[in-house]
Amino acid sequence: MAEADARLLAPFTTWPDGPAGVAASQFQVAGMHCAACSGIIEAALLKLPGVEGASVNPASARLALRWWPSRTALADVLTALQSAGYKATPDVAAPARELRRVERRQALWRLFVAGFLMMQVMMLATPAYVAEAGELSPDLDRLLRWGSWVLTLPVMAFAAGPFFSGAWRQLRAGRLGMDVPVAVGIAVTFAASTGALFDPTGPLGGDVYFDSLTMFIALLLLARWFELGARHRAADALEAVAGALPATAERLRDDGTSERVAPEALRAGDRIRVAAGEAFAADGRVLAGQGWVNEALLTGESAPVAKAAGDAVVAGSLNLDGPLVVDVQRVGADTTAQGIVRLMQQAQSQRPLASGIVDRVAAGFTAAVLLLALAAGVGWWWIEPARAVAVAVAVLIVTCPCALTLAAPAAWLTASGALARRGLLLTDLSALERLCAVDTVVFDKTGTLSEERLQLRRHWAQGADADALLAVARSLAALSRHPHARALAEGAEAGCWTDVREVAGRGIQARDATGTPWRLGAPAWVSDRPDPAARLAFGCGACVLWLDLAEAPRADAAEAVAALRLQGRRVRLLSGDQPAAVAQMAARLDIAHWRAGATPASKLAAVRGWQAEGERVLMVGDGINDAPVLAAADVRIAMGQGAMLARSAADALLVSNRLLALPQALALATKTRRVLRQNLAWAALYNAACVPLALAGWLPPLAAGIGMAASSLFVVLNAQRLNR
Amino acid sequence: MDILYLLIPFSVVLVLLIVAVFGWAVNDGQLDGFENEAERILLDEDQAA
Amino acid sequence: MANERVPGAPGMTYEDGPVRAFALAAVLWGVVGMAVGVFIAAQLAWPELNFGISWLSYGRLRPLHTNAVIFAFGGCTLMATSYHVVQRTGQTRLFAPGLAWFHFWSWQAVIVAAAVTLPLGITRGKEYAELEWPIALLIAVSWIAYAIVFFGTVGRRKIRHIYVANWFFGAFILAVALLHIVNGAVLPVSLWKSYSAYAGVQDAMVQWWYGHNAVGFFLTAGFLGMMYYYIPKQAERPVYSYRLSIVHFWALIFTYMWAGPHHLHYTALPDWAQSVGMIFSLVLLAPSWGGMINGIMTLSGAWHKLRDDPILKFLIVSLSFYGMSTFEGPMMSIKTVNALSHYTDWTVGHVHSGALGWVGLISMGSLYHLIPRMFGRTQMYSKSAIELHFWIATLGIVLYIAAMWIAGVMQGLMWRAVNPDGTLVYTFVESVKATWPFYVTRLVGGLMYLAGMLVMVWNVVKTVQAGKSERVRIPQVLAHA
Repeated sequence: MAEADARLLAPFTTWPDGPAGVAASQFQVAGMHCAACSGIIEAALLKLPGVEGASVNPASARLALRWWPSRTALADVLTALQSAGYKATPDVAAPARELRRVERRQALWRLFVAGFLMMQVMMLATPAYVAEAGELSPDLDRLLRWGSWVLTLPVMAFAAGPFFSGAWRQLRAGRLGMDVPVAVGIAVTFAASTGALFDPTGPLGGDVYFDSLTMFIALLLLARWFELGARHRAADALEAVAGALPATAERLRDDGTSERVAPEALRAGDRIRVAAGEAFAADGRVLAGQGWVNEALLTGESAPVAKAAGDAVVAGSLNLDGPLVVDVQRVGADTTAQGIVRLMQQAQSQRPLASGIVDRVAAGFTAAVLLLALAAGVGWWWIEPARAVAVAVAVLIVTCPCALTLAAPAAWLTASGALARRGLLLTDLSALERLCAVDTVVFDKTGTLSEERLQLRRHWAQGADADALLAVARSLAALSRHPHARALAEGAEAGCWTDVREVAGRGIQARDATGTPWRLGAPAWVSDRPDPAARLAFGCGACVLWLDLAEAPRADAAEAVAALRLQGRRVRLLSGDQPAAVAQMAARLDIAHWRAGATPASKLAAVRGWQAEGERVLMVGDGINDAPVLAAADVRIAMGQGAMLARSAADALLVSNRLLALPQALALATKTRRVLRQNLAWAALYNAACVPLALAGWLPPLAAGIGMAASSLFVVLNAQRLNR
Repeated sequence: MDILYLLIPFSVVLVLLIVAVFGWAVNDGQLDGFENEAERILLDEDQAA
Repeated sequence: MANERVPGAPGMTYEDGPVRAFALAAVLWGVVGMAVGVFIAAQLAWPELNFGISWLSYGRLRPLHTNAVIFAFGGCTLMATSYHVVQRTGQTRLFAPGLAWFHFWSWQAVIVAAAVTLPLGITRGKEYAELEWPIALLIAVSWIAYAIVFFGTVGRRKIRHIYVANWFFGAFILAVALLHIVNGAVLPVSLWKSYSAYAGVQDAMVQWWYGHNAVGFFLTAGFLGMMYYYIPKQAERPVYSYRLSIVHFWALIFTYMWAGPHHLHYTALPDWAQSVGMIFSLVLLAPSWGGMINGIMTLSGAWHKLRDDPILKFLIVSLSFYGMSTFEGPMMSIKTVNALSHYTDWTVGHVHSGALGWVGLISMGSLYHLIPRMFGRTQMYSKSAIELHFWIATLGIVLYIAAMWIAGVMQGLMWRAVNPDGTLVYTFVESVKATWPFYVTRLVGGLMYLAGMLVMVWNVVKTVQAGKSERVRIPQVLAHA
């Protein structure tokens, strides 16, 4: 089938029987209110030629369609649904969701095999630990070991796979990553224990460690299980973003007619008309019309946002009332929505446990351990050849990478989970380290410290009663849906106005009870001599009321700033807005250092300047204007909305827009580092104590086994303290 | 304790069978997610034919 | 298999006949088993109550009591509820109803055979496995039928997800089959006599591997399945944490297998084996309590229902006794504690707090929920009778176990009391004499428990008379997973 069509369908379609076969597409259906709806939908679709099968899941409102795109067009499918009374959107998240499901099942299987068999192996190993010398007959001892071995085999076969494949990948890439010591440890322990089972007097010694081995693997898999859960939850949460594009968009042609096209067919510069109830198919700017838009997919706020000519709109958001004509600016992969999706995909594919410092430590550690074991083996070969291999093995086992391997992941994952619960999604776990060093926090103003919403700050009039005029102005403002008017009206009752007219780009005008025309809107439109300090004006020619509106700071902004200062951090405000507005915001939030009128270039210079003075900068912005600045900062946190997220490559996303999460994150980062160091210290101590013992041949197997287990457990439990 | 020559291999086989059952459960999607499963049993009340 | 999309054929109904039969049989055998229990309790206080008749002697009647309450009362309750739950949660009809009826009648035959052979002194001498080989064979056949019907019904379910209760029932059925076969290995020498395939301490090990797992799977896993269905249904609230119930199930499976040796502390069993049993009995505490908390917290936010609903009282209080017993058990498996408690009446107290408190009360609560629905009603005939039953039973339990605790500790202390010169302070018969008042108190507790059961019989009879057994339609619009 046509290349372009295949590309169009690809995000939500698979071809299970190959490209020439039937297509399997996934859709999200809206308008289903009962289980019987699924039958109606399926029947409607089955009538179409080219549709082989349709299956609707009422609980999740998802439609799985098996069809031949060459015989029926996508548009026909959607039209059939529409005629039946339902709306469908392509479920682009389906393939990713399926992948997550497979990944989760695999991880659960591995974890269960390791954990369940670990318990059984422990039971079989306990008699050897509790029996007095000679109480356990050698045959019985052998039987118990044999049982342990058989039960360890599935663990090696099914559960330990990821470590070996990870180690192999790392070695092929030429580095000693974290999985290498783990894989070496597992392989050596298993080989040595197997040898000890089948040939107790042989070179591999007579001690078995199946219980410690299975416990080690189980604990590592447990850590990975939690990390997987956190990753998947983040992906699920943002899945709504990806699936929100409409099926088709109405593109306006130059001759005034319009055509329906897929969102993917739009180009920058196109004009589209978005009807009430439709989602925006691309990022753009409103050309005509005004109305309310639901931007929940970005901000999480379901309270509608007012849009009028000149305002930006975002692909995937929902137009609530009047039709809007939009100038398309960004399409497809460049839209905000896709940017967020890409960000999360990036986070998902990123190797979760990779980190500079710990990897380097692990590499050094592995190298050291291998050398030591070799040295021990060679040394003992001179002294007492029969024990050489056993001692070398003991060294390898006791230095067990358990604590080391788990130290960082345990701490980071717990911390990132705690942060995610507060609405701060980390995309780069190593940011936790960098957060500790931050001593300056720089905020953008609009959209970061402040909400987009405006508030009436000041009203004044010459030669008239300002308050009385304000009341009248409010009663007129209540009739307009423009965001400035709404900010002014604030729930006021509409007055009795006649001949009401909204003039796009100017304001609203109407006649009052006496027939006098009044205007509310742009100062220059209301009066010939506009007051430069006013944002809005209200007047009838004779008297004029001047109004100043200001942005409202976020509810927790002042608290967050205070908390940051209490932590000993400098807080700065860097904004491109007017000095008056910036000064005012800074005063409200008690920020001493602020700069206004900054261009992106000057913002960048400012940040670079501070860094040159030795400061470590955390930049918090909404990404739209701050891309280069964000890139320069040491740690970058983007607010939940923003069109250039992918390009700014933020370290974390504040999806909840709760600024209080920032001081909390900084505090948590410090705690995390402390816990991480404790874990590493423990690992070091443990090894420092045990290696000499192992080298001297004095380490009994019981101690080695307990050491392995205890060191892992300590690390994991210590990390749990970060949850509080 | 000769009986252990019977009981231990027997339990090993049993344990492996239990693991196999768990494998079936994972594969069959029994453990995929439990939204609504706890509520489902509450939804129907017996109705006479 | 996706959820079935084809609605059930018009008029498709559940097969509740065997459910009804087992439920009523459970009530009957409950009375019988408890009556025998009361009788032998009386005999312990007044031995002349055997009237010199061999088939009324304590030694022969005790196993009749244990078999009747565990396999007849407990068994029929499990069978009734498992057949009920597997159909309702799968929204499908029972697989092979004919086989289910065979299961019912063969199981009743087993019970009757036990009631005849045990007083006649025909016994294998192995606790909870006394029935001789022909009956054991019949048990195996009946059990195979049970397994086929149950798993067959699971196989043809319309709801894809298998509700957690069915996992517990399934594990119980399979485990009991395994245990029965292994412990039942015998060499028959005549129609009513056989010898165990194992000997001496080996046999003891197998016996208590069986015995403890019988407790674990028959009396715990099976009834937990019951709990996970009837508590939510009666409380009209979902299980507190469904995820926890799944974890609970697998955690229990993990650990139960190896706790058996705790029955053999300080016997000829090697020390290390005893230690292993002790350690894993302690480990068992965690999953047991997880399940208890899950069940009790189902009522979270609706505790007021306990005030007015006596059935909920039965169900929730049973869980408290479950918690108590699963704490007491591991404590008693600690060697030092066991040194005091072994062979005393404390063990009897422990058994009965679990049996009367957990098994008994959960069964009664579940039957009170189930029986009216089997006869076209939603309520039993008399709610105040249920309330009365609850209070008499609970009081009876408390009297029973308090008496046995005191007696047990007293016996243990008396038996180990030594004079400075090393001789025993008390003779055995002195300890028996000192125990006597507690035997009487226990008898009173047991009588109260039996009286409660008789109230239940009355209530059940009235309910059956007032209702009618009608067929229940399987829902047509099927829920998708």
